[in-house]
Amino acid sequence: MKWLKLAYANVLRNKRRTVITILITAIGMTSLLVGGGFANFTYQGLREMAARDSGHVIISHKNFVDKEEEVPMQYGIDNYQVLANEIRKNKDIRFALPRIEFSGLISNGDKSSIFLGTGVDPAGEFKVKGPFLTMVEGSVLSRREKLDEPKVIIGKGMAKSMGVSVGDSLTLMGTTTEGSLNALDVTIQGIMTTGVPEMDKRAIYVNIQTAQALLQTEKVSTLSIYLRSTDDTDAIQDYLQAQHPEYGYQTWLVKAFYYFGVKGIYDRIFGVLGVVILIMVFFSISNTVSMSVLERTREIGTLRAMGTHQWEVVRGFTLEGLVIGSFGSVLGTILGFAISMLFHVLDLQMPPPPGRSDSYPLAIDIPLVLYGTAILMSITVCMVAAWLAARKASSKSIVEALTHV
Amino acid sequence: MGTAPILQTNNLGKTYHTGDITYQALKNINLELAKGAFAALVGPSGSGKSTLLNICGLIDTCSEGELLFNGKNLKGVSNLELTNIRREQLGFIFQGFNLVPIMSIAENIEYPLFLADMPVKERRIRVADMLERVGLTRFAKNLPDNISGGQKQRVAIARALIKRPSLVIADEPTANLDTNTASTIIDLMHHMSREFNSTFIIATHDDRMSSRCDTEIHLVDGELQ
Repeated sequence: MKWLKLAYANVLRNKRRTVITILITAIGMTSLLVGGGFANFTYQGLREMAARDSGHVIISHKNFVDKEEEVPMQYGIDNYQVLANEIRKNKDIRFALPRIEFSGLISNGDKSSIFLGTGVDPAGEFKVKGPFLTMVEGSVLSRREKLDEPKVIIGKGMAKSMGVSVGDSLTLMGTTTEGSLNALDVTIQGIMTTGVPEMDKRAIYVNIQTAQALLQTEKVSTLSIYLRSTDDTDAIQDYLQAQHPEYGYQTWLVKAFYYFGVKGIYDRIFGVLGVVILIMVFFSISNTVSMSVLERTREIGTLRAMGTHQWEVVRGFTLEGLVIGSFGSVLGTILGFAISMLFHVLDLQMPPPPGRSDSYPLAIDIPLVLYGTAILMSITVCMVAAWLAARKASSKSIVEALTHV
Repeated sequence: MGTAPILQTNNLGKTYHTGDITYQALKNINLELAKGAFAALVGPSGSGKSTLLNICGLIDTCSEGELLFNGKNLKGVSNLELTNIRREQLGFIFQGFNLVPIMSIAENIEYPLFLADMPVKERRIRVADMLERVGLTRFAKNLPDNISGGQKQRVAIARALIKRPSLVIADEPTANLDTNTASTIIDLMHHMSREFNSTFIIATHDDRMSSRCDTEIHLVDGELQ
């Protein structure tokens, strides 16, 4: 404790230099926290987006993923209600939502376009989509929809291309499970945007019964399982696989191409940034301690003459690194927290990323583990830099040190 | 049977090599210092006083001959062990005082006891006693920058003697002091060497200092006269 007290007193010798070093450490630490917090917020958002799009666990026919269907719904799931009802009993599962993926032509009578359709259960589907599906006009589908008055939600790109709006009629044309053509008139219930312009030109949502009527089937393509916590994904997949080994299983990670793409880029960017910041802090501390050692060469000689071991001298300087690192970390933590709060209050928006049309919030979400890691790294870097600088400098002979001017 | 000398040198020499140039700073030094001796090391500048003092203080090593401390030959002894001997048995008084500026007067004096891992309570008692002996009790909490040169040297003497060392190395302890203060410091060192039975080797140019010593070691061109 006495050594630490000495280190603290030594740190205060040259207040101006110490303040600058602490500020550099704090700014470095704040940069780590803000950069890491931004990346963390982005990862969370992308994880949520991917998971809400596909479901955390996707149950399908065993051949659905690996083999091409010769006719629509060849590898669909029969009696999905029974399976869904059983699965919903698990308290960790929020929703078990049936989906039918289909495609065909959509027409307003004058103009036709290719569509990528999804038949959904409106009761749960639009709850799980949350902020990742925005209605531009009209409303989402209803489960109370009459079978003889089918509705559709179309992307805003498609609506613009076909010159239609809410309440207008369109015709869906698709191939049935028997391979024949079928058509169905639908009324536009709403116009939406997914945030991806290319998807908005092709995507449509219909009630699952509407999709089944068009394809003339009782099956569904997949059952999307939504969990209360994304972290339970693997455990629930294992549980479901054990309960129903006759089905095929995938997790949201398999479909999260965008998440992995962005994460890969950000990991590299923030990794390099982190290393640069730590190097900057390292050299700053190294420089401070080297100057301090140089100024105190004679004093070091005196202390060593009196019987202080070289490692005790080095320990003293390393503790000074600890003191500077600790003050820098505390200040950096406060600054990082303050900046993250400020961003929440300011509600700033980032411009849309490539391939998307929506901006997204510029928020900084710093998890506790990042605070801990950044504090640990800052203090460690300060101590290592101080240790290296002191080790080299204090190896001077005592006689030389005592005659140092 | 007489007691072993605290310090003994046998044909001790020190040679410096700088490139092709060789310089012999000390030659064939044979010296014996008894326990409790109060010895002056005198000689002109460049005679090798500081070199001999550094070797006797175990902060430098000899190139030739041998050095015995308390009867133990220090040839081949590790730096770690030399540091431990200095820590336990040696005290230093420097011309420039060499006090640690961030430590108070009391803390400067306490430092050798702190190194010796003495319990805090005992340390405080010893420091208070030593402060009283050197007449600096009321300056205990002052920093070295806030006291005079003479007072600083008294602190240095107190620091050197607080652990009751066998040997005290003093390098020109009165060189930076005025006549009256130097006289007081000489008295104090002499008095304390008697009180603690510590051996003193004092490198000095000051005749008053050497005249108070019971042994004079004359060095000229690296040789004893």
